[in-house]
Amino acid sequence: MSEVRIAAEPRSEFGKGAARKIRRTDKVPAVLYGHGTETKHLILPGHELLLALRTPNVLIRLQGDGVDELALPKGVQRDPIKGFLEHVDLLLVKRGEKVTVEIPVTTVGDIAPGGLFDQQLVSVSVETEATHIPEGVEVDIEGLEVGAVVTAADLKLPKGTTLAAEPETVVLQVIAVPTAAGAEGAEEAEGGEGATAAE
Amino acid sequence: MLIPRRVKHRKQHRPDRSGAAKGGTKVVFGEYGIQALEHHYVTNRQIEAARIAMTRHIRRGGKVWINIYPDRPLTKKPAETRMGSGKGSPEWWIANVKPGRVMFELSGVAEPVAREALRRAMHKLPMKCRFVKREVGEA
Repeated sequence: MSEVRIAAEPRSEFGKGAARKIRRTDKVPAVLYGHGTETKHLILPGHELLLALRTPNVLIRLQGDGVDELALPKGVQRDPIKGFLEHVDLLLVKRGEKVTVEIPVTTVGDIAPGGLFDQQLVSVSVETEATHIPEGVEVDIEGLEVGAVVTAADLKLPKGTTLAAEPETVVLQVIAVPTAAGAEGAEEAEGGEGATAAE
Repeated sequence: MLIPRRVKHRKQHRPDRSGAAKGGTKVVFGEYGIQALEHHYVTNRQIEAARIAMTRHIRRGGKVWINIYPDRPLTKKPAETRMGSGKGSPEWWIANVKPGRVMFELSGVAEPVAREALRRAMHKLPMKCRFVKREVGEA
């Protein structure tokens, strides 16, 4: 994965008043830490950072006044309605360093008719080189029958990437579709459960 | 209908209506969801009506999650009663929903079916809502 260059300015004013002032100029307050170094408070351009963060685990090269570092996004705070960035936590990384990150799990194909596809895990924790983080892992679900289970150990990870999650963790499964009669009975009986099967 | 089995206090103050949702703002269990855009109290009847609207539309297949729970009682004084003589009797059970909260989630159906099912469910809810999808890998 290629790195994204982002201009960074040091930040010297803190607190919500200063943070709001930064956000009003379409910039984002951020913090950079890791490797036991002193925490750096930064200001990053809002739009460029928003575009960069669309890629999962994007490698960011921060360049600016006294800053030239490689970083990975660790925590991103967004406005829940409008989606703009409020604050970003960046983790300092070095070339060749191994990091543990969550990569998305995507599926290809369609399951066999008669089953209900249930994806339990949308991202899986892996250990990989910071500069070669895979964009995701694909699972082929073509023709999977009812009762089929794919665990983390079954995932075909790219070269140089190892699984950091428990191997027996269920990633996805195919369950039987509830029958119309059974579902109606369940609907009447429950109504109170967190998850309910459809009719 | 959703109703708490046991509560510590039968009559409570009305919940705070300010601010936005602190958590539960993303689709995490299913693939699609309904996100609240305004604050509102959602009663257990409204939750049940939305759930039924959704499940009737998707018929077989699909799984529904309800992420809110009506755990707060609201009281009401009887009509034409003089003020005073204590707090009214519990009348409704409500969930205090704030903007940004994902209230329902759905998976196991095609997107057009999910959109229509959730649109029908939104009509049963008291506030402005929108359809949201799970963001794959976005930080």
